Amino acid sequence: MAVEVFSVPIFLVVFREALETVIIVSVLLAFLKQTLSGPSHQTVEDLNLHKKLVRQVWFGTALGLIICLVIGGSLIGVFYTVGSNKWDATELDYEGAFCLIASVIITVVGFALLRIGKMQEKWRVKLAAAMESPVRTGRFSFGGTMKRFFEKYAMFMLPFVTVLREGIEAIVFVAGVTFSAPATAVPLPVVVGLAVGGLVGWILYKSGSSTRLQVFLVISTCLLYLIAAGLFSRAVWSFEQQRWSRLLGGDVLETGSGAGSYDIDQSVWHVDCCSPYVNGGNGWGFFNALLGWTNSATYGSVISYNLYWLVVISAFFVLRFKEVKGHWPFMKAKSGGDVGVVSGAPQNSSGSVATGKGTTTTNVVAEK
Amino acid sequence: MTTRLFPLLGLAALAKAATVTYDFSIDWVTANPDGMFERPTIGINGKWPLPIMEANVGDQVIVNAFNNLGDQATSLHFHGLYMNGSTHMDGPSQVTQCAIYPGSSFTYNFTVKQPGTYWYHSHTKGQYPDGLRAPFIIHDPNNPFKDMYDEELVLTVSDWYHDQMPGLLNFFISKANPTGAEPVPNSALLNETQNLTIPVEPERTYLFRMINMGAFAGQYVWFEGHNITILEVDGIYTQPAEADMIYLSAAQRCSFLLTTRNSTTENFPIVASMDTTLFDQLPEDLNYNVTGWLVYDSKEPLPEPAILYEDFDPFDDMTLIPWDNEPLLGEPDRIITLDVIMDNLGDGANYAFFNNITYVSPRVPSLYTALNAGELATDPRIYGEYTHPFVFEKDEIIELVINNIDSGRHPFHLHGRSFQAVWRSEEEAGTFEDSNVTSESFTPIPMKRDTIVLFPEGNLVLRFRADNPGVWLFHCHLEWHVQSGLIATFVEAPLELQKELVIPKNHIDACEAAGVPTVGNAAANLDYLDLTGQNMPPPPLPAGFTTKGIVAMVFSCISGILGVAVIAWYGFADVPKEEPSTIVAPGKAAGAEGGVVEGDGNGSGSGDDASSPTAQKETVVGTISNNGDDEITASGGGRDRVP
Repeated sequence: MAVEVFSVPIFLVVFREALETVIIVSVLLAFLKQTLSGPSHQTVEDLNLHKKLVRQVWFGTALGLIICLVIGGSLIGVFYTVGSNKWDATELDYEGAFCLIASVIITVVGFALLRIGKMQEKWRVKLAAAMESPVRTGRFSFGGTMKRFFEKYAMFMLPFVTVLREGIEAIVFVAGVTFSAPATAVPLPVVVGLAVGGLVGWILYKSGSSTRLQVFLVISTCLLYLIAAGLFSRAVWSFEQQRWSRLLGGDVLETGSGAGSYDIDQSVWHVDCCSPYVNGGNGWGFFNALLGWTNSATYGSVISYNLYWLVVISAFFVLRFKEVKGHWPFMKAKSGGDVGVVSGAPQNSSGSVATGKGTTTTNVVAEK
Repeated sequence: MTTRLFPLLGLAALAKAATVTYDFSIDWVTANPDGMFERPTIGINGKWPLPIMEANVGDQVIVNAFNNLGDQATSLHFHGLYMNGSTHMDGPSQVTQCAIYPGSSFTYNFTVKQPGTYWYHSHTKGQYPDGLRAPFIIHDPNNPFKDMYDEELVLTVSDWYHDQMPGLLNFFISKANPTGAEPVPNSALLNETQNLTIPVEPERTYLFRMINMGAFAGQYVWFEGHNITILEVDGIYTQPAEADMIYLSAAQRCSFLLTTRNSTTENFPIVASMDTTLFDQLPEDLNYNVTGWLVYDSKEPLPEPAILYEDFDPFDDMTLIPWDNEPLLGEPDRIITLDVIMDNLGDGANYAFFNNITYVSPRVPSLYTALNAGELATDPRIYGEYTHPFVFEKDEIIELVINNIDSGRHPFHLHGRSFQAVWRSEEEAGTFEDSNVTSESFTPIPMKRDTIVLFPEGNLVLRFRADNPGVWLFHCHLEWHVQSGLIATFVEAPLELQKELVIPKNHIDACEAAGVPTVGNAAANLDYLDLTGQNMPPPPLPAGFTTKGIVAMVFSCISGILGVAVIAWYGFADVPKEEPSTIVAPGKAAGAEGGVVEGDGNGSGSGDDASSPTAQKETVVGTISNNGDDEITASGGGRDRVP
């Protein structure tokens, strides 16, 4: 791996956002299909309307996607052409900061990714609610025109806004993650992430099976957290290395990966080989990106790595506790009003996935 | 512009051996020789530059040295003097004496038996660059060249630092300097000043005695408009040899004749240019040249020196032939090979090594160990591994092979004698062993001197006869490398020493004042083969994974695996059905549990009818628990529930 061309974190972030988008679109399509082209809706009117609305969905999706790509591309382009040269002197500080940002982003995204399987149901609920709303009057806070517009083009607006939102989220995430990776490592994982996300979403839509998806999601989430742990550790390492570099007055480059390239008093282990940074990493860069490998570990990098896992493990236990018991540990059980504030993870829609086989129907139950 | 000349007394006229006594109070003065920075400097009797020592061959020289520095120990080494019969007057601390502590006195008393150009300097803790350095000229009534010149002048070149050595050394040998980059001097000096003017008369021949007293920088020296004739290097008379430029490494000396022109219409620059290849980096504001002038007429201008664009091509000292025509010494009784290596030790700092040993001072001065060890004095072990000792028998012929594994130039100096320089390779020639050079290639009448430059990645072969009982250091004369350990100890005929040498009480007193033991081996143990407690260098850098590294790695792996396991456990866990009572917050958009349930494949129309099997549940659909999503469902936003 002479030039780093594939940033795994970027791939996973893009994948996650793409998947979410596809799920939404698929839910919309399923909804349309069911409401307008089901056995009980065979009129020409219905079919035409269905066609029209399906077109709206795709148009909204495409437009949102294009806008996102333009925004994202120019943002990252500007960043790399304008910004990066100015950082040489404190490069490691920046790298550390970006690793830290990327690590935090991935950590937060990761929680959501694990529950993405529930996304489908969540969106069905949302959509149903959206479709329901025109019936109601008087409580709608938007202006009347806006409301009517939205009603008319709901099938456009929903995917458009969704794609835009997911896309911008992805851009922010990707931007955060990219700063810890060279520019060359950005395009490929973005494309692959979009493709795989789309594919998985499509499979999900077609098969309706969420079990396999769950396996896939768990594996990719595990990878993501391994990466995040490595990034967190590397952030600390970078800050330390910047300090060391400053102490040496730039000579640290002259030392390659040998004696003097690291602070012996901070060193936990150091092997002269296998540096992920020297000569493009020679494959060790891959281990560095994936597992946080370093040929020169410091107390800071080792402790931060382990601490990261400690926090993540604890957080998952806490979340699980919350899921099972309905309230946070060490807090009294409350009524469920505040469910779902944690990290945007969908907390709703329990119990419906397991039976979701080949379904097209969306029933909204709204009884009291 | 300062005129500071060192005119000599011309003691050569005296034929009888005399006693020359110097009373030196070594103390701090301030000096600013380059006009850029005033700094504390080590002077003698309140003055700096220091007095030139002079004597005639055969004179007894007594130096009463009093350390008035207050904060630093010191000692004096008389560089180049063989000190035959007086190895204890040689000067390096912890080798032939204890360092002279502040407030202590120390008397050096020796007879000079050799003519030539020498110098004296501190040989304690890299101290001499702070000022304690000056020429020592020994006149020769039987100088074979005495009729060839009209006047003698001493001219020194040196480098100058604005910072003091203790601070510079703290940086130099520290983890912050892992490449071992030697501090770069701030200035070059001629006769410890700049813009030196030397008044000369036309058509007159001068004998210049030139000494590089610098800490680090070798210097190229040339006189514009004049050639010079070399007559002596490091105290060894040579067949006269013409040169237009010479290179003097730190501690080297060269005497040469310079005959002035017959007109006085022009003055001529003398240029000394520091060898910048030694410098790790070249500071932009460094003037690595220093200029002086041969002044024929003080009313004429002092011209700027011409800039030389071609590579310097100094005189090759290996081509010199000693005046005494001493032939190559015979096949050696002993060959010692020393590889010059720079490497880092466990404290992260860079050290210099002969083979695998970096020098560390013993607890007892090596000479005292030799004198007190009885028969064991011939066993190198008692001097401690880290003094890198070699014990020679009397009159053995020793061949020293030095291979430069390092990429820098190193001027090597041997105390107590001159050596025959029988072979020196070009740069990057590799080791002597690999270069297939045999003794047939050695110079039949080799050049002799006491300090010689070893080229980068080259090799060097020296021969000498061990005919001077004593304890002598062999070391690189770059003061930085003296401190980073590029030193070996030659113990020569120690049993002879035991018979003839008595250490003066004055010297023992200095040890007592310094709290340094005077008996025992390098570890000050009286069981001479027990070296426990000897001074040692830092341990080597840990190689790869040590115990703590393995522990850290294992813990990290466990953390990673545990973390992944927990994530998988969480990811595969079913989200439990929440208790109905917990999901409905009356009047609130609660966390919509179970709100969406699919039917069994029969499209049942738009979602406003209540035909789901789970209809019995109290369910509120509308605002999803994810507050942030509200804007997406704008059309349904703000509703409490769907009817």
